[in-house]
Amino acid sequence: MKKKILPIAMSALMVTGTIGLAGCSGGSADNGGETSAQTEAQSGSLKSSGEVTAYVGTDIFDNSMDPVKGFMCYAYPFVGNALLKMGTDYQYKGDLADSWEISADALTYTFKLKEGIKFSDGSDFTAEDVVFTYQQVKDNQANNENVDLTSLKSVQAKDDYTVEFTLNEAYSPFFDTVAMLQIVPSDAYDSTTFDTKPIGTGAYKVAEYSTNQQIILEANENCFSGKPSIEKVTLVYMDSDAAIAAANSGQIDVVMVSPNYADEKIAGMSVEKFTTMDVRHISLPVIPESTEKDAQGKDRKVGNNVTCDAAVREALSIGINRQNIINNSLNGIGKPAESFVNLSWSLDEKYEDGLVDNAKKILEDAGWTDSDGDGIVEKDGLKCEFDLIAPGNDTDRYNICVALAQEAKNFGIKINVSNLSWDEAGALTNTTPIIWGWGQYNPVLLDQLLGSEKFLTGDYNDVVGYKNPEVDKAIQDALRASSNEEAVKNWKAVQEKAEGDYPYLYIVNIEHSFFVNDNLDISPSTQIMHPHGHGAPVLCNLSDWSWK
Amino acid sequence: MHKYHKKSRLLNRRVVLLITMIIAAVYLVGVFIWGCCLSEDAYGINFNEKFLAPSPEHWFGTDNLGRDMFFRSIKGLSISMIIGLISVGISSVIAIVMGILSAVFGGWVDKVVNFAIDLCMGLPHLVLLILISFMMGKGVMGITIAAAVTHWPSMTRMIRQEVLQVRNSQYVLAAYKMGRSRWQVAVKHIIPHILPVYFIGATLLFPHCIMHESAVTFLGFGLPKELPAIGVILSEAMTHIVTGKWWLAVFPGLMLLIAVIFFDLIGEGLKNLLNPQTGNE
Repeated sequence: MKKKILPIAMSALMVTGTIGLAGCSGGSADNGGETSAQTEAQSGSLKSSGEVTAYVGTDIFDNSMDPVKGFMCYAYPFVGNALLKMGTDYQYKGDLADSWEISADALTYTFKLKEGIKFSDGSDFTAEDVVFTYQQVKDNQANNENVDLTSLKSVQAKDDYTVEFTLNEAYSPFFDTVAMLQIVPSDAYDSTTFDTKPIGTGAYKVAEYSTNQQIILEANENCFSGKPSIEKVTLVYMDSDAAIAAANSGQIDVVMVSPNYADEKIAGMSVEKFTTMDVRHISLPVIPESTEKDAQGKDRKVGNNVTCDAAVREALSIGINRQNIINNSLNGIGKPAESFVNLSWSLDEKYEDGLVDNAKKILEDAGWTDSDGDGIVEKDGLKCEFDLIAPGNDTDRYNICVALAQEAKNFGIKINVSNLSWDEAGALTNTTPIIWGWGQYNPVLLDQLLGSEKFLTGDYNDVVGYKNPEVDKAIQDALRASSNEEAVKNWKAVQEKAEGDYPYLYIVNIEHSFFVNDNLDISPSTQIMHPHGHGAPVLCNLSDWSWK
Repeated sequence: MHKYHKKSRLLNRRVVLLITMIIAAVYLVGVFIWGCCLSEDAYGINFNEKFLAPSPEHWFGTDNLGRDMFFRSIKGLSISMIIGLISVGISSVIAIVMGILSAVFGGWVDKVVNFAIDLCMGLPHLVLLILISFMMGKGVMGITIAAAVTHWPSMTRMIRQEVLQVRNSQYVLAAYKMGRSRWQVAVKHIIPHILPVYFIGATLLFPHCIMHESAVTFLGFGLPKELPAIGVILSEAMTHIVTGKWWLAVFPGLMLLIAVIFFDLIGEGLKNLLNPQTGNE
């Protein structure tokens, strides 16, 4: 019966051997064995002007490309344009809008539109399209959780190039919201086709969309800001390690990489790092375990008996050494963060951390002591131990969590890191600490994270169960502020008031790293501060890219 | 047979077989016990020793968190073996009960058992494993149950066949004639007869269980990332192969491969030794 051994050995080989072989061949691109792709790669290095292949993560593929459903709303669109856009100087400037006026009571916003702009299908851009787009989002708000238009009462075209928005009540983030929504053509809009083939006024149009394979963009000749230098951009979908292999063989010109790969050497490419507003922080539920009804009336478990103790949260915040965590998990790339950073409204808080003795003292004062000598503190028989979820397929986040757990051990807190899919993690957001990535221009996210009325209303909203009347009031003041300065002042107050409660443990302000072909200029000077976006924000100035 | 006889009386096939089996058993039991006794520090995180290539200090190198791959592999293999033991235990008990029931009672019981076997074998094994593991919430529990409830059909068939054979043999028929009850016949004649088949079958199931556990874990439906299982090690290694960290995949993979081959050797050896025809060499 020797033949029995064969299939088993073969199957063992399938799992191990192939990996081994691939391993031995080191950096060469053996994934897929696509000979055609290889030949394409060879010609890639001889690529004439005008073509770029990029891997910027898979987020673009995971969502609809329809602006009405929230596509590319965080300030880096390439197919469409919003009325406003974010400038490199952190100021909003007109994109499709020429000028604007805000009434004294901050209830009416009037935008004067630029004239002579055409969509990529050749039709004219007018006020009617703006009214149509906003109306679409408002009527289908459930499809778009990013662009929140609930404060919008009405939108009307005053003439062909003037639009007037009327709000229910003053809502200071409205200006940010306007910059998030790209305009679609009223005549050509179709909710289904736009998922894959949106039409817009932007520098590029979608020439080909292959689900979870590639998106081919072509320059839009009708673009009002001029035809971009790169005529064809191919965004590819692949695993991050396959992307590096492809870059090694010259198939890709721009590759998003984890900081842990940033030291690798790829011939003909160099690493470009961009400062971001993207932070990684951990939600620490502030209420004890209990069951509450959510917005749908279903029972939901909430709270965590360990992290609900403010002393535990404070000890973590000051006891861990963030720079150590960054060195250990992110190859030293990124900056320690104790709050949101790099934004007009962010606190950019800095305080000394790594204070292990202080952390121990805080825990001891709160009654947490190590009575059984196992290195973990206890209080009333409860071990200071909790699970921490690093969701999805994100190795960096997992590594941050593991490094954090090592730090927390120093002052007697045990963190058990687990890796779950986002679906599984979604059911545990209210009870179990999770590592999140946040960062956007619109300060309304503070309301989402800290506003008590947001608790149990959505997957990401106030997952920790934070409730502080003073913070709620400051949020309302910020939302109802009639001027930007007043709003910013109140948003900062929101963060200052919540700061002492440590509902979130901020760890790092990451940097987005890319391998870029040495002959390709991705115009770092016109890149805006990158929001959170899994690599896609590098496309923010796609129309400025050029071959050297 | 003759060849060995000429060479040496000591080194006949039976002796060679015994020696190989002892080596295999020492490796497997050794890894198992070592893994079970291993302290967590041995394969713990050490950020100062990230991505070290194999060396006398770290035989299999270290990974991106500075964990020693040798001790991780040992621990991982022993975890696989524990899961293998439990699932083989459950599987073989299911098989023996179903096999005997179906052979002794015949009729509709036999039909039901055969239908269950066909049902289980009709689906691709890996798909079935993934489905069950996922339904049971993955993790140690999920993968153990999945392996336990999918590995019985082939063994059930074997046992059923054996029982059928014994049941119709002269001495069993004679025992019935002499007034023995079914129960007495089963205990006195049938069970001793099928025990060798049972042990061989169970040993040969072992490598299947371990392989399947690793495969399902590798695909992300089995053991969680925080356990140092071989499947986890291999899937993590995938992301680092592109940057030339070959040792992360090769050594743990070989450990698994050797374990699987050794188990198979022992199973085949047992079969040869216990089989009347080859056993008397």
